[in-house]
Amino acid sequence: MKKVLTGLQEAAGLVEDGALVTFGGATFSRVPMEFVRELVRQGKKDLNLIDREPAMDFDLLIGAGCVAKVRAGMVAFEVFGMAPNFRKKSESGELVTKEGACQPIIAGFRAAAMGLPSLPVKGMLGSDLLTISDVIGSQKQIQDPFTGETMIAVRAIEPDVAIIHAQKADEFGNVRIEGPFYEDVIKAKAAKKVVVTVEELISNTEIRKMPEATTIPHFIVDAVVETPKGAYPCSCFNYYDVDYDHIKQYLKAAAKDQFKNYLDKFVYGRESV
Amino acid sequence: MNDKIDTPDMMIYAMASEIENFDTVLHGVSSPLPILAMSVARKTHAPDMAYISGSEGVDPELDRIYPSSFDARLNRNAVAYFGLHEAFDLAQRGELKIMFLGAAQVDRYGNTNLSVIGDVNRPKVQLPGGAASAFLMPITPKVVIWVTRQSSRVFVEEVDFVTGQGYNHRTDEHKKNEIVIISNLGVMNFKNPDRLMQIQYYHPGHSVDEIKENTGFDILVAPDVSESPVPGPDIIKLINQIDPEGVRRSEFR
Repeated sequence: MKKVLTGLQEAAGLVEDGALVTFGGATFSRVPMEFVRELVRQGKKDLNLIDREPAMDFDLLIGAGCVAKVRAGMVAFEVFGMAPNFRKKSESGELVTKEGACQPIIAGFRAAAMGLPSLPVKGMLGSDLLTISDVIGSQKQIQDPFTGETMIAVRAIEPDVAIIHAQKADEFGNVRIEGPFYEDVIKAKAAKKVVVTVEELISNTEIRKMPEATTIPHFIVDAVVETPKGAYPCSCFNYYDVDYDHIKQYLKAAAKDQFKNYLDKFVYGRESV
Repeated sequence: MNDKIDTPDMMIYAMASEIENFDTVLHGVSSPLPILAMSVARKTHAPDMAYISGSEGVDPELDRIYPSSFDARLNRNAVAYFGLHEAFDLAQRGELKIMFLGAAQVDRYGNTNLSVIGDVNRPKVQLPGGAASAFLMPITPKVVIWVTRQSSRVFVEEVDFVTGQGYNHRTDEHKKNEIVIISNLGVMNFKNPDRLMQIQYYHPGHSVDEIKENTGFDILVAPDVSESPVPGPDIIKLINQIDPEGVRRSEFR
């Protein structure tokens, strides 16, 4: 085992401009927000983001000018409404939005995790989403060789970097996720590089007491960063809940054309608001 | 007398009524109404349903809802976690009975649009995206679509973009599966040989004519159309208990 404990700046350095990136969690739950803020601080460009149901992580990076392309099943702030920067930049043409559906995106991650070039899925047939998939070469109609059933083969999705926020890990990258996993384990297996930010570092001795709790083992992890409150304002199960007021504040700033002030205050840490 | 019932509560009751005992049911993202409908069904006529939360908890003892439908507190006292990819496996096996989905536009064939208005490469309006719609719509035995504001701009002649597949975009095998549309005005289904949208129920205080006026195509009327069954005070109390802060009303503002 190799020690992979590092700092946030060094870990964010693993994400190159133009990289295909996915984040752990879903909407406002266990999303690596501090890492996302670090990507903004480092001025990343032309990122290609992919996930099934992202929210503030994608929107923040889009608003900060770090993103060229988005592929997702849905990008929204749930009952709070549309993702403001995503909507604005999709409509202005600054952002290329290639909508998928949740299942083909998950299946693409699963294919990559299994080392397969593609994986067939049911459904999808008859949806205009297939015309988009056709253009980006991500889904094709196939016949099952045994039954003749028509299905959609989804091309494997191998992110350059997957960033997961978890509750605990040791310095070698043995990771414990508590509560719902979402597709985090699959994403970690699918990606070329894996960064895990954690609420708490625990010892290797502690890890060895309960190996069944280690859902991501060290040999697929490239960096571990101790990042308390690393999902804030999203939640981290067993540690803290979503700060819904902060999310409303974000939306208010975006709606009032004060997004730059939001970035100054909450990303760059400059008091200007 | 009946028009004292709030529209969200009327819709939640109608949505709950679509669930039968022993059904396996999943809700997705941004789904306060489905969560409340599943909770009502489980506490009343469907105690043995399998409840799969979008936040991954199975049969949680839900005490209240939150603005996020993936809030991990929704998993309180769950018996297990079942990930979305596992729920999708179940759907491919034909064992996920009911899913609740949204729509920004819907047409007479039951096609839904949650993707774009205008050109997909340069959208006039970028919508949030269909999430699981295109995957689950054709293969799930029953899909319940909820629409909080029925108007001729939402119930359109033809959707701008087919995100979820209606009956004219399905194979014969998938035509057997049901679509039910529950709006603020009534309940629509496709239980006729041509699989075209028909009015089945109008909510108290509304009418067949009002639904027709707020539909952008010539909508059919079921021969046995009637007023929607009304939730009793115990159901309203239950809904208020689980949603004391009125998260369910957020989609109606």
